[in-house]
Amino acid sequence: MLEWSDTEALVQRTIREFVDKEIRPQVDALEHGELAPYEVLRKLFSSFGLDVAAREATEASIASQREREAAGAAAEATSDAGASTSSQEKPVKGGLFGPAGAGQEAMGLIAVTELCRVCPGLVAALGVSLGLAAGTVNARGTAAQRARWGAELATLDKIGAWAITEPDSGSDAFGGMQTTVRKQGDGYVLNGQKTFITNGPFADIVVVYAKLDDGTTDRRRRPVLTFVLDSGMPGFTQSRPLRKMGIHSSPTGELFFDDVYLEPERLLGSATAGAEGKDSARSNFATERVGVAAMALGIIEECLARCVDYANNRKLWGQPIADFQLVQLKLAKMEVARMNVQNLVYRVVETMRAERTSSLAEASAMKLYSSQAATEVALEAVQLFGGNGYMAEYRVEQLARDAKSLEIYAGSNEIQVTHIARGLLAN
Amino acid sequence: MTNIVVLVKQVPDTYSERKLAAGDNTLDREAADAVLDEINERAIEEALVIKEANEGEVTVVCVGPDRANDAIRKALSMGADKAVHVSDEALHGADILQTSKVLAKAVGTVEGVDLIIAGNEASDGRGGAVPAVLAELLGLPQLTHARKVTVEGGTVKVERETADEGITHLEASLPALISVNEKINEPRYPSFKGIMAAKKKPVEKLTAADLGLDGEVGLANAASTVLESAPKPPREAGQRVDDEGDGGVKVAEYLASQKLI
Repeated sequence: MLEWSDTEALVQRTIREFVDKEIRPQVDALEHGELAPYEVLRKLFSSFGLDVAAREATEASIASQREREAAGAAAEATSDAGASTSSQEKPVKGGLFGPAGAGQEAMGLIAVTELCRVCPGLVAALGVSLGLAAGTVNARGTAAQRARWGAELATLDKIGAWAITEPDSGSDAFGGMQTTVRKQGDGYVLNGQKTFITNGPFADIVVVYAKLDDGTTDRRRRPVLTFVLDSGMPGFTQSRPLRKMGIHSSPTGELFFDDVYLEPERLLGSATAGAEGKDSARSNFATERVGVAAMALGIIEECLARCVDYANNRKLWGQPIADFQLVQLKLAKMEVARMNVQNLVYRVVETMRAERTSSLAEASAMKLYSSQAATEVALEAVQLFGGNGYMAEYRVEQLARDAKSLEIYAGSNEIQVTHIARGLLAN
Repeated sequence: MTNIVVLVKQVPDTYSERKLAAGDNTLDREAADAVLDEINERAIEEALVIKEANEGEVTVVCVGPDRANDAIRKALSMGADKAVHVSDEALHGADILQTSKVLAKAVGTVEGVDLIIAGNEASDGRGGAVPAVLAELLGLPQLTHARKVTVEGGTVKVERETADEGITHLEASLPALISVNEKINEPRYPSFKGIMAAKKKPVEKLTAADLGLDGEVGLANAASTVLESAPKPPREAGQRVDDEGDGGVKVAEYLASQKLI
């Protein structure tokens, strides 16, 4: 794959137009927390008919899942062998643009890239609500759970957060997890704390991972369960946004659970499927990491375009700085990074078209490279702009701060190295 | 049921550097990114609003080179139903009169047209005459510079706004031609579904010969000729007023001398 098709190019132009008209003029308000990202994202959704498409796709998918569940329940009633895997048969693919397939694989990635040219924080807020929270509920939930939470998350009517990280367990997410649930009657009682949770301060619905405390199993080996919480539940506190280095337009916060009673319906998936919380989280890792390549591409493209323009127009000693070879070297390196990361994004599309999924090692390699490339390009852009680059007005410093987050989130780059190595050494 | 034709034009993006070709003083299309003219987006939006209220069909008519297909596709992805695209090397350098003739013939290929909607002027040539010339050629009432349009039964009502006359209320029976100004509406973005659907919508391609205009159009037959063009002169330095306690008076005197106060 060498370039976008006509239709993909039209989608790209249309989203770019939206970004230029609706987001660029508001980027300061978004960055300073004066404007929450959610209204802008909802406008994006309604402008392109994505809300209607998501609603229709989710409702249809829930209806067919109900039928499968009813058939599964009937089969179980007649046979003892009926393992209740019915809800797991067909996880919903796609996301931003509804169900995947029919030449639509690239659309979500194109949107992510275009948004990241201006405001990567918007993508963080959108990606977590739609990709992680809605994605997890709709891929793992029963029809009833999806109808209760998944449908409104898929349309952005409700905003979601996805809570796994804790103060003492970042990369060691499962082993070091301290948040626990214990059984109480039919339900569970949740205690603990999560941090660095995107959308945490404002989320309506939160997917929470917690370890089952049965009083006997070794702490590190306890099963991880996945629950869905609603904002405002007794004992559940959402912090104010934390101050960060970058991606300011995406609110990040802490969550506190103090004896939060969870009815059994809040355990995601069927009762017997509950122990697969780790799988649920891991399957998101590859998707999230592949998405980083599209995010990095947006940052690189914007920095490169701004740098070419600046190099041509900024004059020193009576000539454009583009004439200086040290400036040319920076531009050339940026172009190499742009080509490489663009090719990774094309590769992701090709993989989807071949109906394969990227392996965790493959996704980790893409994430490692593209996040480093974006950070280097954006920092070099600041350098190329000189004093102006250090000023907020010229925007590249924001992109540099935002790019750095790509080296840390979705698994720190050090963790990516271990996952790539594990893939290589497994055989 | 209102069948509507919307005239669309692909123009150089106003953000690009726009210039004329050195050889024949026609638009240098290669020098700039090409986009669907924004005023046409508003014309399409108005057509779609009328169609949604009254049913009917929206046909886009465009005269322009092959790459104007991108502008047509955008119009179709916004929700127009089909398109007629007149593309012919022979049209290179066509002036307002010729373009209007071509448009009149092209509109004639669309059956049962109740209403033609155009932008009031394109952002490149800025002639602003095509709607009036076309209405004349087709023998239709022209309701130009509309900032508000209402279609009821067989009648179209328009609030016309111009700098000289202010607001005038016009009314005509259909079929009619209207041109809209930038206050008419806020155009929608093409929906994702619309973009996917646009691929399958019919675009009829026509040449000057198909319209019976072979040998009548193009630069050689144009009624107007561009003899020369020059870039906009750089802005001159402003007049500096030193405030020695009388700055306010000096500014007021200057404004009065320019008849601004």
